[in-house]
Amino acid sequence: MIFLVTLSSLANAALGMQFRIASFVGLEADATAWLGAVGLHEGEELVVLRRAALGGPLHVRTASGGEFAIARELASSIACVPAPVVP
Amino acid sequence: MSATCHDGTNDTSHAPASRNAREGHLLIALVGRPNSGKSSVYNALTGENARVGNYPGITVDILEGQVVLPSGVRATLADLPGLYSIEATVDAATDEGVARTFLNTAKSKGDRLVIVQVVDPTRLALGLRLTRELARTKFPIVLALTHADVLAAEGRKLDPHALADAVGVPAVLVDSHERDATARAVLAAVDECLRAGADARAAKYFDPASVAKNVVRDVGSRRELARRHITEHIDGVLLHPIIGPFFFIGIMALVFAAVFLIADPASVLMDRLLGFARAGLPKILGRNLFTSLVTDGILGGAGTVLAFMPQIVILTIALELLESSGYLARGAFLMDRLLRVLGLSGRSFLPLLMGHACAVPAISATRIVRDPRERLTTILVIPLMTCSARLPTYGLVLAAFFWDRSPFFRAALFVSLYVASIVAGLCASWILRRTVTKGRGLPLVLEMPAYRVPQAYVVLRKAGQAAKRFLRDVGTTIVAVSTVLWVLLAVPMPGSTPAEHRIESSVAATIGRAVEPVTKPAGFDWRINVGLIGAFGAREVMVGTMGVIFGVENAPDDSAPLTERLREAKKPDGSPLYGVRTGLAILAFFVLACQCVSTVAAIRRETSTWRWPAFVLAYTYTLGYVAAVVVYQVAGIFGVG
Repeated sequence: MIFLVTLSSLANAALGMQFRIASFVGLEADATAWLGAVGLHEGEELVVLRRAALGGPLHVRTASGGEFAIARELASSIACVPAPVVP
Repeated sequence: MSATCHDGTNDTSHAPASRNAREGHLLIALVGRPNSGKSSVYNALTGENARVGNYPGITVDILEGQVVLPSGVRATLADLPGLYSIEATVDAATDEGVARTFLNTAKSKGDRLVIVQVVDPTRLALGLRLTRELARTKFPIVLALTHADVLAAEGRKLDPHALADAVGVPAVLVDSHERDATARAVLAAVDECLRAGADARAAKYFDPASVAKNVVRDVGSRRELARRHITEHIDGVLLHPIIGPFFFIGIMALVFAAVFLIADPASVLMDRLLGFARAGLPKILGRNLFTSLVTDGILGGAGTVLAFMPQIVILTIALELLESSGYLARGAFLMDRLLRVLGLSGRSFLPLLMGHACAVPAISATRIVRDPRERLTTILVIPLMTCSARLPTYGLVLAAFFWDRSPFFRAALFVSLYVASIVAGLCASWILRRTVTKGRGLPLVLEMPAYRVPQAYVVLRKAGQAAKRFLRDVGTTIVAVSTVLWVLLAVPMPGSTPAEHRIESSVAATIGRAVEPVTKPAGFDWRINVGLIGAFGAREVMVGTMGVIFGVENAPDDSAPLTERLREAKKPDGSPLYGVRTGLAILAFFVLACQCVSTVAAIRRETSTWRWPAFVLAYTYTLGYVAAVVVYQVAGIFGVG
């Protein structure tokens, strides 16, 4: 059976929708490790709460309870897939 | 954060693993993610005054305090800066780098160390990720779970025993408002950890998310559960793409205007009282040299500066309230886009804002900025921010030359000085990021804390500390400078011809006059020059110096405050000595010039070179001088007196 998943960047994620971090694109290993320590790691689920005006940062909430401001430039390096809906 | 507000905390930031620890003394390291409540636990354990706030990275240095465990064992408690990881690579100069260096050094030296990890239980899974890394250091660990009150208010229940079993270390749930109970519980857990010895080893492999899910249960009513969304509702307004930035600018303008409007009457009253004291003392002590030293030197100098203490205290309270409520992190979110245009990011926002209280802790606070180029740029522009040491001079000039304007006009002018310094700082960072600190920056990632009600005792303690530091500095530096200046004004220059007024031939006047050819285009005479020379080390000395000069120059029983003396001072031909444009030129100079030795020393400490402090002195003094000349000359062209 083949599953088709749509990868999209966090920068373009719809507000209020649950996503799961699939991978980090074009980031150095150090940066990825630090993001993981902060709470943004592969497999983590998150919701984009809002975007600041004029291309400013995104405000996201992770399933672990953390809330973060993430620069849009960085968000475009975070590939996401829609998180499975838990009934 | 006061006028001469250079943190008096025990800075051991680069001295990991203290001497005591090396001698077998127990060292307890307080570790935790930024904003986990670590500083509150430190305060509870030691009763000392660490910074307590609601913003990532507020503990800018490692504080140390002494504690006694229930077993009688004495230990040194070190409050490390917040860190997310001890394994991910981070610049050693940042907050995280400092904390990691401390732990690594303790490990390599084989120190007797217990780690107390402070964890915010409302974000337990995030905290446990760090626990997993700390377990690999093989140091004994105790988990102190803070915000028990918040957890209960939100209808959640955490089982510390289940958590301790899952992670393999003692865990205690505390409410930092209950300081005695917090201290007892944490110290008893450390004792327990020491007793367990090698048996108490944290599990190195566990899933933080699963553990968090298993040990926290929802037990609350619908009302309690609704409280979890308070932050979300408030953010809906405060972080609104349109309303948010306007609200933020409004709040900042209100804070700076309030500093002026609330504190100004208190400052005027204190100034009046000092005037009466100056006039009354000669009647009690008689007219002699000692009375002149007390009234003109000490009261005229240090006393005049004292009148501006209310402004410093109110500014400290306002910034503390913003910080501890969690709003400043929102400010960083709102300002990030603008700061990125200028080559900085939202992470630079806190140090820049702290610079409005005092540049010295603000420069230390740049350790939360991970990007080295951005950090250096922030350090280089912080001296341009309107620190509270500028307030006495601003207050003096506004009261002396704009006394006939409404308080709101003066408040607007006061706020515009803040705006001028912010614009200057932003322009400077734009230029620096395209020249001396050129390079690609790291994008923003910033944890947004939940809103919290500021703790009144913490805010008041902070205000008390600011007042104490201000009094201490006035009581030492400014009294010393005022006394020396009084002597220099009283002693005639060797070989000088006695002038009609003795002060004219004094050593100080001669030095001030020697600089006049340079400062005349800015409208500065010898008196202002002496003030500026005195203020090179600390800018608040300016007001004290002017107080001494006009105290010595005027009749001994003149009770008029310095503002009136400045306004009424006349040249030999009867025309006013100073006008509005002189006041504006002084303000322009003070907005830009880095007149603070402590700031220079802090830049040296953070950059490990004299190159950058020299650079800051050169560019800020050049800017200050040019601005003063331009303002004075342009005001003259427009017919301003």
